[in-house]
Amino acid sequence: MAITHTNRSNQDDTRDGRLFAPCRARCPIHVDVPGYLAAIAEGRFMDALEIILARNPLPSVCGRVCLRPCEDGCRRCLLDEPVAIAALKRAAADTGVYPAPRLARRIPGRIAIVGGGPAGLTAAHDLAALGLSVSIYEDKPRLGGMLRYGIPNYRLPDYALDRDIEYVLSHGIEAHTGVRIGRDITIEELSAQYDAVLVTVGLQDSRALPIPGADKPRVLKALPFLEACANGESMDLGARVVVIGGGNVAMDVARAARRHHAKEVRVVCLESRDTMPAAAHEIHDAEMEGITVHCSWGPREITGENMVEGLRAVRCERVFDLERRFAPVFDEETVNEFAADTIIFAIGQGPDIDELGLPVTFRNSIMVDPVDLKTSVAGVYAAGDIINGPTKIIDAIASGHRAAASIFRDLTGHGDTLESLDQESAVLGRVPDTMAAKVETRRRIQMERLEHWDAILNFDEVELGYTEFEASREAQRCLSCTAGARLAVEKCASCLTCTRVCPHGAACLNMGGYLYFEVEACHACGACVSQCPAQAINLETVSEEDLSRRVQRKLADRGMDTSLVFSCGHVPDTLIEAGVDFRAVQVSCLLRVSERSVFEALEEGASRIVFTRCTEGDCRFPHAQDLVNKRIRHIRKMLSEAEMSEAFLVTTAPDEHFTTEVDTP
Amino acid sequence: MIVVRQKPLDEICAMIAGHRSVLLVGCNTCAAVSLAGGETEVDTLLQLLRLTNKRHGMFIELSPAVLQRQCEPEYIECLQEGAYDAVLSLGCGAGVALLASTVGKPVYPALDTLFIGSAKGLARWQAECSACGQCVLGMTAGICPITRCAKGILNGPCGGVSDGTCELGDRPCAWVEIYERLDSLGCAKKFDTILAPKDNTTRQICEWDMSEGCDEK
Repeated sequence: MAITHTNRSNQDDTRDGRLFAPCRARCPIHVDVPGYLAAIAEGRFMDALEIILARNPLPSVCGRVCLRPCEDGCRRCLLDEPVAIAALKRAAADTGVYPAPRLARRIPGRIAIVGGGPAGLTAAHDLAALGLSVSIYEDKPRLGGMLRYGIPNYRLPDYALDRDIEYVLSHGIEAHTGVRIGRDITIEELSAQYDAVLVTVGLQDSRALPIPGADKPRVLKALPFLEACANGESMDLGARVVVIGGGNVAMDVARAARRHHAKEVRVVCLESRDTMPAAAHEIHDAEMEGITVHCSWGPREITGENMVEGLRAVRCERVFDLERRFAPVFDEETVNEFAADTIIFAIGQGPDIDELGLPVTFRNSIMVDPVDLKTSVAGVYAAGDIINGPTKIIDAIASGHRAAASIFRDLTGHGDTLESLDQESAVLGRVPDTMAAKVETRRRIQMERLEHWDAILNFDEVELGYTEFEASREAQRCLSCTAGARLAVEKCASCLTCTRVCPHGAACLNMGGYLYFEVEACHACGACVSQCPAQAINLETVSEEDLSRRVQRKLADRGMDTSLVFSCGHVPDTLIEAGVDFRAVQVSCLLRVSERSVFEALEEGASRIVFTRCTEGDCRFPHAQDLVNKRIRHIRKMLSEAEMSEAFLVTTAPDEHFTTEVDTP
Repeated sequence: MIVVRQKPLDEICAMIAGHRSVLLVGCNTCAAVSLAGGETEVDTLLQLLRLTNKRHGMFIELSPAVLQRQCEPEYIECLQEGAYDAVLSLGCGAGVALLASTVGKPVYPALDTLFIGSAKGLARWQAECSACGQCVLGMTAGICPITRCAKGILNGPCGGVSDGTCELGDRPCAWVEIYERLDSLGCAKKFDTILAPKDNTTRQICEWDMSEGCDEK
């Protein structure tokens, strides 16, 4: 996908989905991030999950362990902190219920997928959803690939992975586990049985250094070690463990070793602290668990007579040459010896594909056409790390999507919606200063997690996830980039009300006197929508019809006549304590609730309408307070004309009691 | 622009009581800009009427429509024939009148037409013109004494002014404002001119045809 930065205000681009928020653009599979954050902000976790699943079949996994390129792009980065997008995805996956799979009509075509990791699961999901018969062949006893056997349970527990895998398999996919391709069945045999074969075996070979002593017992490799951890095997590593490597896997290995009762775990890596490939938060978490990181050391020898006694290393002065090629330079004079009972290599993974019998590149990965992912063997495709080298999980998912699209096109002759992933799109530029000055700064909500000293006792998940309330609050930090106001020019009465209410000057007049919205300056507060007499403005992510449906669902929930609470944020506990029977509809701002919605809800059987307002310091859109006040006055006036004043109540959350009405200035 | 506002609800209810089916018609020009007759206000009034009718045990079928402008026959033609037996217009007086002469069913006004005015920020308007047919704004620095002076006098101020405020107490004296603006424009001498009584027959113009002239009664 070609991405260009833009300051455009041309709305047609966004309507086609061609102008992306930076979070969405940076995600390799372009998940509609502003869309699902808007849903979470309103407490609609099911809707959020469906939006995510439209592009990402593994939300529970990605919500926990994705390296989240989306967050680096968040336009809030320049204001305070990026929105916790991954954690919110996890909240959607944990809180929402996975929907029943939407399956297309069955069409002829049988696909074999070799490897049940992220790329294979994604491709299987796509192809099965399109109506093809899909079988997954997996060497290991359970599906998941590196997600299960490479990522320790304290980061990605089995139950979280199984939720996603169950959802994928619910599309009618057959899984054959414990079958090794090349040994139990060959690619040729699969090709004969299936219309297409997709190889997504990943990188299964754990690398080690050929240094003296590397063949000693208690010198381990990362992947077998992590697999043993995943299988719950107990291991005696001794008191002192040295992990060689500076990437995320090294951190996983070190933290896993700590959980196997190693008292002293050291990570020894070639790179300097600044150039370590591991993510900063992974290093931080490792250090908090008592692991020491020794940078710029090049392993030379594993010492000891029969058993491991230590690692002798020399100072590494530089890892890459001027052309960024790997060419370490050592100072052989500066030597350090790290005492160890066990040494684990975590210096990278490589392919283990000799048994497959497919043509390989000079890097020993499977050779494919980069566009359609076909190998030189007819009907055999490859995707994921086996063609791309070690990449992020989300890249493997993208690769799986691409392979599925390619297979589907070759089998049916139809181009498919999956290809829209590759369409060119533009990215929204930075937050304009005028808007930045008016957006409330608000720090990210920190997720509750196990204390470090408790975490190292076992493999329990460390990060405990957001509560629904925390998730909604965090999602409300989203600036709703590209998800803001849309003008239907043909309905516009040119009253200019929108230009008068917009706090960021997003509603503008061009030279001809026509209105347009500056996409960059809009953060979807909905002030203009609420005031537009011609209903010519809509928000991308919410509509009055949606709200109406939600209200109807709430009112249909149970038979008893009850109060309907519209709440911006959360419903105050005082309501529950007061024993009031109510149904709540959470909206991201009370401006979303029009006079019409209130009257409609009353007509449809709500005994009364309660607005629970945020307090000033809490408000996501402070400029909207006046407009909300005005609306409340208007509703009160109209209901009093209809002699129904008692059917409308306004209260603030959470300190005011339900029955105390708040005066509206 | 013509500024309008919604009538009290009981007045509207009384007008449509007795009908079985009423079409609410908005106007997407002045009435919408006045935030009283656009699609939003039509929907809101419709819901409120449904709610009120339900409470009073009445059943009137209500349906919504919005015209680009109610005061143009061509736009009214767009109005679909329907099963309604009365129309509730959310337009200005002109819209109600043209609808009433066109649709062949009782037409009721949901709005009161206030004045010809200009916008003063969000949802506020200033009365500027009374359509008197003989504009004097050139002599009064653009402030209309017919509209803005409570008495509508052509040579002011009257004796009721105090500290620049009208004796009604709810508005500044238009004539004081006229003097101050003329003065600031360096045309204070215009204030000495006695304006001649207006030809009030222009207020009686009933129809205007650009080519034929007017039919003054």
